[in-house]
Amino acid sequence: MNVSYYPGCSLESTAKPYDHSTRSVCRLLEVELHEPAGWSCCGSSAALKMDRLLSVSLAANNLALTEKERFKDVLAPCPFCYRRLLSAQQEITGDPALQAKVESTIDSELRGDLKVLNTLDFFRNRVGLERIQSKVKTPLNGLKVLPYYGCYLLKPQNVTPFDDPENPVSMDEILASLGAEVLDWDFKTECCGSGLALSKTEKVVELSARLIGEAVFRSADAIVVVCQLCQANLDMRQHEIGKLHGAKYRVPIVYLTQLMGVAFGIGAKSLGLHRHLVNPQPVLRRYKG
Amino acid sequence: MLTLKGTPSEREFLHHVIRESGQNLLECLQCGKCSGGCPITSNEVGGPRRLIAEILSGMKEAALGDPTWWYCVSCGTCATRCPVEINMYKVSTVLCEIAGKEDFAPSEPDIHRFEELFLKSVEEHGRVEELQTAMIFNLRSWKPFRDATKGLQLMLKGAISFKDLLPGKKAKQTEAGRIFEKVRRDKDSGAAI
Repeated sequence: MNVSYYPGCSLESTAKPYDHSTRSVCRLLEVELHEPAGWSCCGSSAALKMDRLLSVSLAANNLALTEKERFKDVLAPCPFCYRRLLSAQQEITGDPALQAKVESTIDSELRGDLKVLNTLDFFRNRVGLERIQSKVKTPLNGLKVLPYYGCYLLKPQNVTPFDDPENPVSMDEILASLGAEVLDWDFKTECCGSGLALSKTEKVVELSARLIGEAVFRSADAIVVVCQLCQANLDMRQHEIGKLHGAKYRVPIVYLTQLMGVAFGIGAKSLGLHRHLVNPQPVLRRYKG
Repeated sequence: MLTLKGTPSEREFLHHVIRESGQNLLECLQCGKCSGGCPITSNEVGGPRRLIAEILSGMKEAALGDPTWWYCVSCGTCATRCPVEINMYKVSTVLCEIAGKEDFAPSEPDIHRFEELFLKSVEEHGRVEELQTAMIFNLRSWKPFRDATKGLQLMLKGAISFKDLLPGKKAKQTEAGRIFEKVRRDKDSGAAI
């Protein structure tokens, strides 16, 4: 299978483990990822907040680049990139005046017919559970995990309709197909504080504290994420959250693609498991193939 | 169609927000599902329902000074739960654009500073230099050592690299840089979408 791949800025800087594990897992699943040369930032939350034309144009510029590749599908693992690309495509195709304006801004034409896929939609629906299961070497039996979807993948629903916005199940299904014990909880799509990480750290601590507290209450071995902002906020703020609750927390925050890699027998180093602040390797060691 | 009361300037503000955001605030029921689910609503930050009430009442100053739209992380929870599907992050963008155009002082300078530094990095490099942006933000906020211990730990684990902190070469002219310039020119010439 061949798809375009838009990693986004974070995956080549602070979220390398997400990028590396996605690439390793795809190689094993015989998915070829084609990264369009010269992609740039999607504009992220900053452009979305400050300037609509800039925000749509930055995303559209990457859509135009990707359209030049030969593939219909583009995988965007970062949920914000995913939603920006998808939303820009919808906004442009639904508004000819905006399309003309954006095309003149980016000096390129747009077809607007790409299928933009996030990590979950891609693995659950394009690759499929059967194929994933067929690659499992060491089932993650007895590993108690909490699937944490975050907000951007699923909300607002009229932009990202691939799963239920309040109680999504696609990650649960993938984790179950790896053999893991999927725990239920009410925080699947609650916000971690997202881009306020630096500018309003106390808000991030407050919001992430609910998630970490719940994970400890449910005796989870790990929280599983598909967003590098969720990963960073939950992994980095456990010290502050501990102080808030008068406790000490060490909850591993791992990417879904890392767990897939572990079950597929890919080495910990290629998956970047040694690079998180809370080391997930002690709970994952027993699944070494 | 409702007949709007209020002074012409109050009506103009409301109409402008509705037109530019594409969100029909006149349909708002003030039910509060948005603020109930909103992650950033607190005692200090009024939340989307209150912000809509301010806009509907033509209270431009109050709306532009409301910290809600600065705090908004565009999680989309309000839009998902709203019975009339009002998407408030689109309203945030419009308020931010008006505030910028009219030089209205940001009620949340920290958030404003971060967004600006982020975009500057994108304009200069095409992609955001995350660590540099974080470091410059800490310096400008007079907190140079914020998260320094964690940064060091992550560096030792190889999660981030020291060279990413150093000012990289500025790309001469990036594709993104050209887009920034074009958008700025359009804005100066007053061309609307």
